[in-house]
Amino acid sequence: MAGPLALGLVLGLASLSFLMRATGSMLPNLPAAITTRTSGLAPALLAALVAIQLTGSNGVLHLDVKVPAVIAAALLAALRAPFIVCVIAGAIVAGLLRAVFHL
Amino acid sequence: MPGHRSVREILLAAAPIATAIFVFGISFGVLAVAARLPAWSVVLLSGLVFAGSAQFAALGVIAAGGSVLTAIFAGALLNLRFVATGIAVAPSLPGGRLLRAILAQLSIDESYALSARAGAPGRPDGRTLLISGACFYAVWVVGTMLGALLGPVLGDPKRLGLDAAFPAGFIALLWPMLSGRHAVRCVIGGVLAALALAPFTPPGVPLAGAAVIGLWLAR
Repeated sequence: MAGPLALGLVLGLASLSFLMRATGSMLPNLPAAITTRTSGLAPALLAALVAIQLTGSNGVLHLDVKVPAVIAAALLAALRAPFIVCVIAGAIVAGLLRAVFHL
Repeated sequence: MPGHRSVREILLAAAPIATAIFVFGISFGVLAVAARLPAWSVVLLSGLVFAGSAQFAALGVIAAGGSVLTAIFAGALLNLRFVATGIAVAPSLPGGRLLRAILAQLSIDESYALSARAGAPGRPDGRTLLISGACFYAVWVVGTMLGALLGPVLGDPKRLGLDAAFPAGFIALLWPMLSGRHAVRCVIGGVLAALALAPFTPPGVPLAGAAVIGLWLAR
């Protein structure tokens, strides 16, 4: 990625993150109705990110070594393995399947 | 008031988490340079954003060929929860509004969890938040730096399965949130919205659709 574009990414995400942490510390208590609503954001978004990662460039589900990688990571997460163990296991599963089956 | 915890006690409680954050930082650095971000920008990202899941989400979008705007959007939405943690920690932080806004930058999931455990109900321990947060910040940035240096040595990211690290990481971040029917409903809705929109819309729209569905279904 070109330098200016990378700088845009850094500054864009950094300033929004700063604002969110700062506004929270300055706001009075929010009504519970709002916090309940926003609690649905993270799960929906992360689930969508998993789904999008499993689609090809045409936007349609594309089944490849990432699927067993995600299943392995989900199993480990269900067993309460640390985040990093799930990530590395997913990478190893995908890397091994590619090496063995030349996918 | 809960007893005054010494710096040493706080650091001892933070140490195992700090180790995990350090390793997460290394992996983030490796993945980010593998996604062809310049090494300096990777370290700057960790230094200025200081939020693993948001950075990971933004990077996942970039690695999959999405635009910078989509990446910022994905990362920022995940960071929206910091508005809530900011409200929770504000009464425990010293100083006026400006200082509190700056100190609140040290809140991440882990430092907030430690401070909530150390404090009284509804009043997290400010000292724990600041000391553990500063410690986590240091290991996160140093870990990222190490990973960014290590990344180019490792070789072809696809051969190592690093592209699969993103969906694997997202599912690992998602799993602990899956308590209760509401969360499961939001997950299913998010997946369906994303998959329905992905073939017909530019990247970013499926994520926005999932976010709207998440807000709608969380009741």
